Amino acid sequence: MEYFSGLSEFIKMTFAQAIIFAAIAILIFLYGMIGALQKWGSGVTGYGLEPQAGQKGSAIRFLKTWWSQVREASHAPHAKPLLEVLIFDVLFQRRILKRSSLRWIMHFSIFAGWMTLFALSGMMFTVEMIEKLGIELPFTTAQFRDFLSFPNYIFGYLLLVGVLIAIVRRLFITEVREASIMYDWILLAGVFIITITGFWADGIRNGLIWGLGLNPMTAPPAALFHSVISLLFCIAAVPYTKYIHVIATPLAILANKGGE
Amino acid sequence: MAKRTPSIDTKNLTAVQLMELDSCTRCGECVKWCPTYAATNQKPGLAPRDKILRWRQYMNKSYGVKAKLFGPQEIPQAELQEFKDDVHHCTTCGICATVCESGINTVELWEAMRANLVKKGIGPYGKQNMFPKLIGQYHNPYLKDQKDRLNWVPPDVKIADKADIVYFTGCTAGYNQLPLAFATSRVLNKLGIPFAMLGEEEWCCGSALIRTGQAHIDNVPLGIAKHNVEALQKKGAKKVLFACAGCFRAASIDWPRALGMKKLPFEVIHITEFLADLIKQGKIKWVKPINKTVTYHDPCHLGRHVGVFDAPRYVLTHIPGIKFVEMDRIKDFQRCCGAGGGVKAGIPDLAVAVAESRVKDALGTDAEILSSACPFCKRNLSDGRDSLKVDIVVEDVIELVAEALGLETK
Repeated sequence: MEYFSGLSEFIKMTFAQAIIFAAIAILIFLYGMIGALQKWGSGVTGYGLEPQAGQKGSAIRFLKTWWSQVREASHAPHAKPLLEVLIFDVLFQRRILKRSSLRWIMHFSIFAGWMTLFALSGMMFTVEMIEKLGIELPFTTAQFRDFLSFPNYIFGYLLLVGVLIAIVRRLFITEVREASIMYDWILLAGVFIITITGFWADGIRNGLIWGLGLNPMTAPPAALFHSVISLLFCIAAVPYTKYIHVIATPLAILANKGGE
Repeated sequence: MAKRTPSIDTKNLTAVQLMELDSCTRCGECVKWCPTYAATNQKPGLAPRDKILRWRQYMNKSYGVKAKLFGPQEIPQAELQEFKDDVHHCTTCGICATVCESGINTVELWEAMRANLVKKGIGPYGKQNMFPKLIGQYHNPYLKDQKDRLNWVPPDVKIADKADIVYFTGCTAGYNQLPLAFATSRVLNKLGIPFAMLGEEEWCCGSALIRTGQAHIDNVPLGIAKHNVEALQKKGAKKVLFACAGCFRAASIDWPRALGMKKLPFEVIHITEFLADLIKQGKIKWVKPINKTVTYHDPCHLGRHVGVFDAPRYVLTHIPGIKFVEMDRIKDFQRCCGAGGGVKAGIPDLAVAVAESRVKDALGTDAEILSSACPFCKRNLSDGRDSLKVDIVVEDVIELVAEALGLETK
């Protein structure tokens, strides 16, 4: 069974193999995420408390504590309603905008580009799954792929802009460069590699300039490389690296009602 | 071989706070604004994001995936000692929380880390370890006799035995910064507002213990909160007035939390809010202009912690003759005076260094008077002024009000 997304019979990349890669990435993610939740859940459930003797970290305890803090009234003078926090502070990233418009453009471009591409890939995958299951759709997977092509480019460019700003900041602004540690570099390197390999694989496949003139026969392995790297960084590495902030930061902002 | 145990535990650190460690994106905003980091020539360990990074590493070494698979990794005691020093070099001013892009409640995080380490026998810092004994035994941090609580009251001040309004003086104004207490009591008398005081029954608000991570020692803050609230109720308090930002913060946030109450059985009001309300009602008749240029320093515990920014400005701008000017860093983004979080007691040199920066902010406005609304800020800003050997008067808003009402503050 061939897998549609840029991988052909040529390298025998099958649907099953792609699913196996994805499943491995998800398993690594789940293992790490449960570990992170348990680590957070080793904390106490309220102000000034102590963990019970012999108590182990528990993901459930974390979730309950978080939810309880989300629901309770905040004493912070600037606490905002949850819906406002969700829209303005989590999705629109108002707290970053308040501090630096350049950093907001950078972060919001990466966030919007990354999340939308992730969602578009998910939609493509869903359509392909539906087709594999033999359910008839009013369009073919090829038509759907063409339909997604434009938004894929738009959000790909958006991501690229954000990533380039991030790299330039980290390399050329002295105070940012000097404060950067491996924890920061790994995140940036991951996003950069995914973005660049995405454009590269697309360029080879469609004979565009960023394919660097490589033979279209090399498109499938390039796409495979991009897929595997994306799965590793997008999913598997999240709990183990700075990518964890993708989950932890919105939760913190919500728990603190938009922050102090 | 015995199984290794983690070098740190999670006492006092909530599950959400542990998650907050992972939510830090290391954007560096907190570093730009931190007053103690700036006052120490940017000592790296004092940067808020560095403290978050280090505790995250401690957590990962102790409870992370690697620790689960291969056992916890030891954190040397010297490293924890150094961390303790760094986390106590913080005035808990809260500017790092205000500017944090991840919305981390940093003040409570530092306080939880302090308490965690104190429970482990690491910390507090310097003379801060005297607080539990002093406050627990003497009910004030200045080693004064409780019987002397009302010694400052001048013969002309009338205090009711019971009243709807009770003035909670606070240890600093009641024992050391007497002009504030004189001014507050005389202003209330002049305005015809009957008020009571707790006298010997007024115990320290407990702020120093909570801020320095020592709340758990004999549960002194809980006892304090319980005692003070009961004593205030016995006096018939419907409104309790505070002229000290630290006490005001404690009564607004720490007491209800310690007692497990959503709200105290009386209203907690800062004196500047009370006066602003009276001015709005046209109940204050000024008798003397103050023809001076005045700037205002927001106390952290009044402003960022509780959200009172406008009332002191409203009062100042309604005093006849005052030309009010603002410093660059005000309200949410104010620079701390340097006294809070136990720093004045534990690391007085650092407190003065931070105060110097704030006094320089004031000097930049050409103000003749640097006003504030907290006796502790007044004390430290005065020290900063003296250290710089510059000519600027440091006065509390209530003192200026008293002066404009033709009252003595001595």
